[in-house]
Amino acid sequence: MVGRVLWIVGVLACVVAVGLFGAGAQEVEDPDAPVDLRFTVWTGADSHLQLLNSIAEDYSQENPNVSVEFATIPFADYVTNVTVQLAGADKPDAGWLVETNAPEFIQAGVARDVRSEAERYDMDDWFEPALELWRDGDRLYGLPFSTSPFLILYNVDLFEEAGVPTPRELSARGEWTWERFAEVSQAIREETGVYGFQTMDGQGFDIRVWHTLIPIMRSYGTDVWDEDNNVTLNTPEAVQAVQLFHDMVFQDESVVPPGDRSDFYVGDAAMTVGQISRVPQLEEADFEWSMAVMPEGPAGRGDVIGQAGVVAYSAGEHGDIAADFVGFMTNKENVARLAEFFPPARKSVLESEEFLAANPDIPAELMREVVADSIQVGRVLTPHVNFSEIDLESRGAFDELWRRDADVQAALDRVAEVIEPLLRQ
Amino acid sequence: MTQARRNSISGYLFIAPQFVGFLVFVLGPIVAVFVFSLQSRSLLTGESTFIGLQNFRRMFFEDGLFLVTMRNTLVFAGGLVPANMALALGLALALSRGRRGVGFFRTVYFAPVVTSAVAWAIVWRFLLEADRGLVNQYLSVFSITGPNWLREPGWAMLSVIVNRVLKNLGMNMVIFLAAVINVPGEYYEAATLEGANAVQRFRHVTFPHIMPTTMMVLVITLVGSFKVFDTIMLMTQGGPGHATTVLVYYIYFQGFRVFRTGYASALSVVLFVVVFALTLAQWSARKRLSHYET
Repeated sequence: MVGRVLWIVGVLACVVAVGLFGAGAQEVEDPDAPVDLRFTVWTGADSHLQLLNSIAEDYSQENPNVSVEFATIPFADYVTNVTVQLAGADKPDAGWLVETNAPEFIQAGVARDVRSEAERYDMDDWFEPALELWRDGDRLYGLPFSTSPFLILYNVDLFEEAGVPTPRELSARGEWTWERFAEVSQAIREETGVYGFQTMDGQGFDIRVWHTLIPIMRSYGTDVWDEDNNVTLNTPEAVQAVQLFHDMVFQDESVVPPGDRSDFYVGDAAMTVGQISRVPQLEEADFEWSMAVMPEGPAGRGDVIGQAGVVAYSAGEHGDIAADFVGFMTNKENVARLAEFFPPARKSVLESEEFLAANPDIPAELMREVVADSIQVGRVLTPHVNFSEIDLESRGAFDELWRRDADVQAALDRVAEVIEPLLRQ
Repeated sequence: MTQARRNSISGYLFIAPQFVGFLVFVLGPIVAVFVFSLQSRSLLTGESTFIGLQNFRRMFFEDGLFLVTMRNTLVFAGGLVPANMALALGLALALSRGRRGVGFFRTVYFAPVVTSAVAWAIVWRFLLEADRGLVNQYLSVFSITGPNWLREPGWAMLSVIVNRVLKNLGMNMVIFLAAVINVPGEYYEAATLEGANAVQRFRHVTFPHIMPTTMMVLVITLVGSFKVFDTIMLMTQGGPGHATTVLVYYIYFQGFRVFRTGYASALSVVLFVVVFALTLAQWSARKRLSHYET
């Protein structure tokens, strides 16, 4: 009897052991064995996914055993989810990576070197500054698929209704400054009752707080921190810049305030900061819209580029194939296709007539004026190797800033205090 | 082998499948958390080194945010538990008698319990918006300018507490209702004949009878309030500032937002110890305070 019991227990233990560890057993790789690559992205827009899928299909034509599946993770949770997935059993193979987190991911060894794969596709064609973020010595940890300047999207109908000149008209007259921006925003609020401005995707007081502050601070001649990791977001120029915006939100009340869901894309605000990847959201808009460059400050234009790259995750199971796909995805032909939504960092594409016509909803002259020219002069969002922590730890201090009675200088000093040690780590 | 021994062996075999699952999926991770709490681990790099009790030293002596978090957790529990229990008991008493329409009201108060917590929190976030929120629009009818509920420190905490009370009230109400209905009617009859009024009947008949239930509801509600996460995550993300950062949200923040898995594990150990101690304390209190436990 005891023997039988032991036998049953033994079998049970084996079943559990096989179940637990069997999955981890490595099989010998057969070059023609079917491979499913999982590629993480933060877009859920149909038009974006259709384009990505068509690139994946072309890749499968050349490599019949490989299929690529795009997995959408919302932007707000992207870094967290990718990190957790990479630490888990079902690891993604490749994906998008936003510039602000690039140094951190590269230093942590999350992205793998893709130089040899990239070299198959004319490396000299890349616009040199655009690769800076992705390079470390001889190694290349990713390739930019989107080098997309921030721009002002605006609702032409609301400007007409309020009887104020549009950003593009002001820009043509050389009057498109942050002060004028604040004035038209207030005029629209007063004349139409609709908010004049909404921060980028309505997230500008929390997860996109840097996207709100960096453009205005740069055009006032400063930034959130400098190249030597000194905090500069509480300098007199920075305070002046933020004060202007703070007054717009809390005195003029012309900006969609924190916690409110009024949305530019459905007509609840007259202007917002966007990129051309946002244009598909305007497909069903029942108002006429257009776009302009960002306003100028005392130090001129502070063009900001939001950059995103494609990387192959070093933890992924099919590293070589993933790296190969990353190279393929950013070859000349595919960068030209992506240019409909994601402005290119390849010179040949950027300088082509096709790029200016890449998005049927955007006239060529706008594409040149607002997008192509800004790419040449713009700088990427200010990165840091400790970005996740800086971003999250500072949010508490920023909440103090976004109060009606806030002392802008004091609030920014407080933010500076929080991020200073993190910048130096 | 004796019959008894044989029986016990087959008994163990029957529970084996479930127990193996428990070992692998519950006990294993708990033990792992204790081990991780002694390490410096990064979710991002996958590196880990043994650092002894340094995580705990940091928590109690260096990390000011930990103390803020503990205070917030206590404020949350201190607000939620009494409000929830008092309302649940009050409703149970009011709805225990067979008046017309009790079924309807019982359903109304229980409905939030079966509602998806995520949908509930998101809808409430809309209702509590500053200008366009229904709550403030309703207040403006009486010329009251409501605060930006989820964006101002004191109001944000109050909002999540009230929200959580409304969401889970129904469950405690039903448990109390069952207890109240089960008090034998002859005691009330006897008390009434002795001239006891309603307050005295509650004080001397109902309350002693439902004491075991009250203690159980207290344990569940208190432990639940220490473990609150979804409401905070969906409504305030711990903000504004750190005004609603409670312990479990802080564990999530450290572990999954800034990738310090070791430190997050140490925080989890503290949560485990607190909840365990509370449960033990109430278990012993329950034995002393309940006269009717069977």
